[in-house]
Amino acid sequence: MLKYIIYSCFFIIVSLSMASCEKVIDVKLNTSPNQVVIEGNINDQPGVQTITMSESVPYTTSNQYPPITGAQVLVTDESSRSWVFTETKPGTYTSSALQGQIGQQYTMKVISKDITYTAVSTIPTLVNLDSLSIKVITFGSEDFKAVEVHFKDPADRVNQYRWVMKINGVQIRVVYADNDRLSNGNDVVNVLFYSDDENEKLKAGDEVEVEMQCIDKPVFNYWFTLSQQSQNGPGGGVTPGNPPSNIDNKALGYFSAHTSQKMKVTVK
Amino acid sequence: MIQKSLICLFFLLYAFSPASAQQKFTISGTIRDAATGETLIGATVKIQGTTQSFGTSSNAYGFYSLTGNSGEYNLIVSYTGYEATTKRITLSSSAKFNFELKPDKGALDEVVITAGSRKNDNVRSPQMGLDKLNMKDLDNVPVLFGEKDVLKTIQMLPGVKSGGEGNTGFFVRGGAADQNLILLDEATVYNSSHLLGFFSTFNADAIKDVSLYKGGMPAQYGGRLSSVLDVKMQDGNNKEFGVEGGIGLIASRIKVEGPIVKDKGSFMVSARRTYIDLLLKASPDSSLNSNTLNFYDINAKLNYQFDDKNTIFVSGYFGQDNIGIKDLFANDWGNTTATVRLNHVFNDKLFSNTSFIFNKYNYAIELLDADNNARVTSLIRDFNLKQDLQYYSNKHVIRFGAQATHHRIAPSDITTTGNSSFNPLSVENRYGLELAAYASDEWTITDKFNILYGLRVSSFSLLGPGTFSTYDNMGEIASSTTSGSGDFVKTYIYAEPRFSASYSLNEENSIKASYNRNTQNIHILTNANTGSPTDQYVMSSNNIKPELADQVAMGYFRNSKDNSFQFSGEVYYKWLQNQIDYKDGAQLTANANVESELLYGVGRAYGLELYAKKTKGKLTGWVSYTLSKTERKFDEINEGNYFNAKQDRTHDLAVVGIYNLNPRWTFSANYIYSTGNAVTFPAGKYNTGGLTTYFYTARNADRMPYTSRLDISATLKAKQTAKYQSSWSFGVYNALNRKNPYSIQFRDKKSDPTQTEAVQTSLFGIIPSITYNFKF
Repeated sequence: MLKYIIYSCFFIIVSLSMASCEKVIDVKLNTSPNQVVIEGNINDQPGVQTITMSESVPYTTSNQYPPITGAQVLVTDESSRSWVFTETKPGTYTSSALQGQIGQQYTMKVISKDITYTAVSTIPTLVNLDSLSIKVITFGSEDFKAVEVHFKDPADRVNQYRWVMKINGVQIRVVYADNDRLSNGNDVVNVLFYSDDENEKLKAGDEVEVEMQCIDKPVFNYWFTLSQQSQNGPGGGVTPGNPPSNIDNKALGYFSAHTSQKMKVTVK
Repeated sequence: MIQKSLICLFFLLYAFSPASAQQKFTISGTIRDAATGETLIGATVKIQGTTQSFGTSSNAYGFYSLTGNSGEYNLIVSYTGYEATTKRITLSSSAKFNFELKPDKGALDEVVITAGSRKNDNVRSPQMGLDKLNMKDLDNVPVLFGEKDVLKTIQMLPGVKSGGEGNTGFFVRGGAADQNLILLDEATVYNSSHLLGFFSTFNADAIKDVSLYKGGMPAQYGGRLSSVLDVKMQDGNNKEFGVEGGIGLIASRIKVEGPIVKDKGSFMVSARRTYIDLLLKASPDSSLNSNTLNFYDINAKLNYQFDDKNTIFVSGYFGQDNIGIKDLFANDWGNTTATVRLNHVFNDKLFSNTSFIFNKYNYAIELLDADNNARVTSLIRDFNLKQDLQYYSNKHVIRFGAQATHHRIAPSDITTTGNSSFNPLSVENRYGLELAAYASDEWTITDKFNILYGLRVSSFSLLGPGTFSTYDNMGEIASSTTSGSGDFVKTYIYAEPRFSASYSLNEENSIKASYNRNTQNIHILTNANTGSPTDQYVMSSNNIKPELADQVAMGYFRNSKDNSFQFSGEVYYKWLQNQIDYKDGAQLTANANVESELLYGVGRAYGLELYAKKTKGKLTGWVSYTLSKTERKFDEINEGNYFNAKQDRTHDLAVVGIYNLNPRWTFSANYIYSTGNAVTFPAGKYNTGGLTTYFYTARNADRMPYTSRLDISATLKAKQTAKYQSSWSFGVYNALNRKNPYSIQFRDKKSDPTQTEAVQTSLFGIIPSITYNFKF
């Protein structure tokens, strides 16, 4: 809900501050040593499951992240079945044998440079993504288009969701995460707003792909914390910090076991 | 127990009073403006005799009382901007003398900010950390859109920091924005801003007196940690009818006042409204002309003097903001206050005021999209009963009283229609009772040594009905208890000592010191930097402990050249306890378990404030400089180390100059410089979920770029006749058109997504303004 308020405020600020302006500036930043980043994703779809390891880089360099190679990566489930992930590309560890099971808790164990990183995550019950649609908001003389996801939230439990949206194959630079705190049991229409500062505006003919994930609480907490920060810069809102990772030993990143469903729509 | 300790204190005060050898008599009365009948607050009353000379100043209702040995005296009454009056009296019995002072027409030496209008009062008074704003000259300080504003002007005082560009939110001595007690005719104003903070709720036309206590709070005030901003409305002219107003770029205002019964009672009604949306309405574009963006407010006051001993005052404020975008969003919010006060003069030494106060703040947000519709409302409401007494004896002014406040907070109610994604929800109301009793003594021990000491005993009780939970480390409910209506769920009692002293080195130099403790039981939860209309209010509870602040301050005060130059330097150190911050990903809106999202820590703030002021001559104004540090410490944040609070700014400088060229033209300029806010910048970056994600190390260890701004204005008095007076104000905000930082965002470059960039947003460039003011 807060998201709707923030986006509504965004429109107000657009209309209010015609005098406001943006400029790219140089800021002096401290640079810390590179950190270990682990991204683990296990979903309920057949195919390849991927865990990546990389390093963070200083802010001033380009967005190229050095892979961490030679790690031992192992995933086990509650019945002690285990899957060894093999390095198929530098820093990318995969398994095609594992297909996540709903309700199953998975443990990830990564050993790299004598440090063991572990995390657990559970695939929650699937909530079906029913459909996608396009919403048009008219403001001033301009039309703003946005993608809506439709699904039925189950009333009998707490659900957390994450969406990943791609337009013409390019991922939109917004973290979408929500829970059913205010919409439990409803037919939910969730609007995936984004600003055109970093992304191209949605226009007719665009092909939109949305992946919906049902995620567990710690993973939700990770994405939701990130989503709160990304809307405001320093001085504007939530003080930024590292989102709470479910991986131990100070690794950045997350280990997410989730359902995955994808759907496409073309903007008319 | 509270009662007992107060009685003890009261008798203790008397034990100090020396037995009188000579017969003493008391003179008392009320001091008013001769033209309007407005009572004058803080006017000087001085008795000059051959053997004895002493003085006092009038209280918030213009009342004064002086006691001295029998004899022949000159009684001198004076007030800044008014002609002084002298009366030869023979004190052989107690007597009543009311005074009406004539405004000093020729005065060019009016002072914008006076630290007490009594000559050298700023030096002699034991009160520290007090700034008073003179409303008359608020016109001359240039401000955004030409809308004179009390809260923006106080931000140019030492120790007071602006909440942001063009923002009326403020921080005092390292405190948070919600740690200021903002009073309008004794009623708490919870949200003091209009239009997302660009305007304050105080319509300067309706305001008589503004006092800001940054430290050494007198015992009659309590409930917030950092400051007290005591705003008093005008009573209204009790001699003749008058109309005045102004037409500006953004808003217009009008005030009507006049006698109900001449010299006995008067009324004042003042209103203003913005009209940006009226311009929008003129647009042929249907999606623009159905948007709303406005605020209005109304101040009204009535008073009637039944007789010499009894006066009633009824005052109220109502303000409302409306923002709306067709088919998408609507948000309105506003404060309502009402105060009924009864003044009673028991005898020439004992003055009483009884106040019944109501205030509330509420907001509503409506999401209008059919699929996601919801209406969210929230309310905080107080009933307050207050009894204040002042006893004037020979060398003492004793103030004592008690206060009871009942709070109700309705945190969030959500209603929906049709098929909304959201569910209706009602977060349980919370009730609280604050009780306080206080006594203080302002004691003139010798000509040189004055002290003001007192004690405020305050209690806060969280009342039922309701379900009250405790939470485990994970934020899950650990236990819940249900309490019935009127049950005392949790009670906190604190003693808040207040002490300040001044020692005059000579007539024009003094040193002062103070210590005070304050508690706070109403807390704002917000993710924004300063107040936003949708802030959540919570009370102290079984989870949230009352916030506590202890402050010590020392200062040196100096006047020179017959008060035309005033200088003060103060240092302070403040310890804060039970401060509030938030867990990662905290959801503050419409959350019944919002208390599970909170973190508790401590804080410290210290600084040096320098203030130099020129109060007389063609050129007047001031320079204020603050060097300060404010930090917080939470176990869960920044590895448990102290970090800079958001509002920490090392240097703050304000220069205000007002030049009276001739009776028609006045020019003024102000310049501000401040270090950027403490912020957290990334120390690195990485990729998660396909997105560039930033890595942070220490919290708030970085700085926004500095802010620097020059504003100028000119006021032209047009033709003045006895019947009609008017003036034009021309202003230029941010005359150097500097792009001051509002926020900085780190993001991928749109043109080259392999690179990141830091983008600074600035709000206001150069903004001219023009306002026409009239009075008839």
